[in-house]
Amino acid sequence: MSWTVFRASLWQRRTAILWYVVGLAFYSWLMVWYWPSIGGSEYQKLIESLPPEMLKMFGGTEISFGTMGGFFQVEYLGLMWMIIVLSAVLVYASRSFAGEIADGTMELTLSQPVSRVQVAASRIAGLAVLSGVLSLATFGSVQLFGPAYDVRLSSHALWSLVALGALFMLAGGGLGMLISACVRGAGKAGGIAAGLFALMWASDIVSNVSDLADFFGPVNLVSAWQPGAVIDGASVKPEAWWLYGLTAAVSLAASVAIFSRRDAA
Amino acid sequence: MAGVIECVKLTKYYGKTRGVEDLTLEVPQGSVYGFLGPNGAGKTTTIRCLLGILRPTGGEARLFGERVRVDGAGLRSRVGYVPGEIRLFDKETGRWHIDYVSGLRGERPAAADDLIERLDFDPSRKVKELSKGNKQKLALILGVMHAPEVLILDEPTSGLDPLNQETVFQIVEERVRGGATVFLSSHVLSEVERVCDRVGIIRDGTLAAEESVRSLLDKRLREMTVTFADPVGAEFFDGLAGLTRLEQRGPATFVARVKGDHLDEVVKRLAGARVVDLSIQHASLEEVFMEFYRGESGEDQAARPVDDAEGGEPR
Repeated sequence: MSWTVFRASLWQRRTAILWYVVGLAFYSWLMVWYWPSIGGSEYQKLIESLPPEMLKMFGGTEISFGTMGGFFQVEYLGLMWMIIVLSAVLVYASRSFAGEIADGTMELTLSQPVSRVQVAASRIAGLAVLSGVLSLATFGSVQLFGPAYDVRLSSHALWSLVALGALFMLAGGGLGMLISACVRGAGKAGGIAAGLFALMWASDIVSNVSDLADFFGPVNLVSAWQPGAVIDGASVKPEAWWLYGLTAAVSLAASVAIFSRRDAA
Repeated sequence: MAGVIECVKLTKYYGKTRGVEDLTLEVPQGSVYGFLGPNGAGKTTTIRCLLGILRPTGGEARLFGERVRVDGAGLRSRVGYVPGEIRLFDKETGRWHIDYVSGLRGERPAAADDLIERLDFDPSRKVKELSKGNKQKLALILGVMHAPEVLILDEPTSGLDPLNQETVFQIVEERVRGGATVFLSSHVLSEVERVCDRVGIIRDGTLAAEESVRSLLDKRLREMTVTFADPVGAEFFDGLAGLTRLEQRGPATFVARVKGDHLDEVVKRLAGARVVDLSIQHASLEEVFMEFYRGESGEDQAARPVDDAEGGEPR
């Protein structure tokens, strides 16, 4: 790994990362502040009056809506959070290879004594740090602001969510990196990756109505994202760890292999 | 001794589009090799293969006798690269780029401050605020500041004013005196004349010829426009060797193309009449190519320059 490339990867996105951290912390605080005033049976009645397909759109159905986990999942973590963090990691990933090759800055890096594997590993390390920071900003803020509103996460739930959130982003960003290593242009790479996640999301919703639409089955990254249950005290399902872990490992390894062999101008 | 820079049957295709084809050349240590060709001839593709940025479709590129690989890095520690149109990180400053490249090389740049001063470059400004010329100065600083053994320059003076062009050539000449091997790509003949020992001419992706600079200079064409005081006929020029084209533009005005080594005869012939206006310009490199590397039928004669004068080694 090259520390210079690693530092530069994050430094060049410093403003965006700062805004994402502030935005996620603010959103978390808003939810923590909002939950005690709306939580409970009234909220559950309101939510359950909605059609199941609509609920699924916001990441609901597997959990009780009267709980804090259900509220957070439907109002925040089920859809909006995914959109926010995926936009962050996919922009990072699409710039990492495809974007820099298309705009020519990769040539500056690769004309120096640094190998492709080092460059790719450094970019992946940057993605890992970005994922960790955004996950910590999300769930750490819940824990930080929670006591003021009598909202608390258990220590186990907090660290499980931080780790699972980071792994989810690493898996999503990994797919983004893989696409980025294959195509030219950040817009194209980001567009394909975003389209893939939109398809997973749509498949997740429609599969609620028809099994025929469950194109991704057990490898749907969106379906496996169930943080509400963890907030309510359940453990993360082992299959979720495996799915995100394997997706991240395979896609990132493949992105290194492809980037190491392709034309970079 | 093997060349420091070598291409052996180097071929690069972008899909079905030809970049370079069967390119073979060798640059000995300590020499200054000019790589001449019109835009789109394959100069930048060759350089990118030499740097491992592009993967050759066939053949190989070598530096210091070792094959260049796209996933290799070690060879590039001995090479400095100055692209003609550098792409930089817009939001960062010149100083950031200097530190970035130094970080990648793992060494402090010995000559950065000296180059900054000589090129009158302000490293505190962000790249997005820099003019094309200033970006080119930064490209030169980044490529040269570590005093590399091999300097690869791809049209290094593009966008620079004449004063800075002069500074660039001074810097290159200093590096040559310091023992560096230089590979200078250009489509400007006068740039190559100044610093190079030997010239490779690339056209349509193939090496059309390899010449000494002296030989190339002899082949240089002049475009002459002459206006006589009194009308004369085209027969005035009859029997003159070295005229490759003659066109009458009015009763007393002619435009002629003259080969470099026949200028003296033409001037002496002109002295036989009263001339009221005369201009002589160097023909462009493209015109030199057209004249010397294309047959009358329009077919390429890449393997045999028409005028195979002294020192030329046609391929």
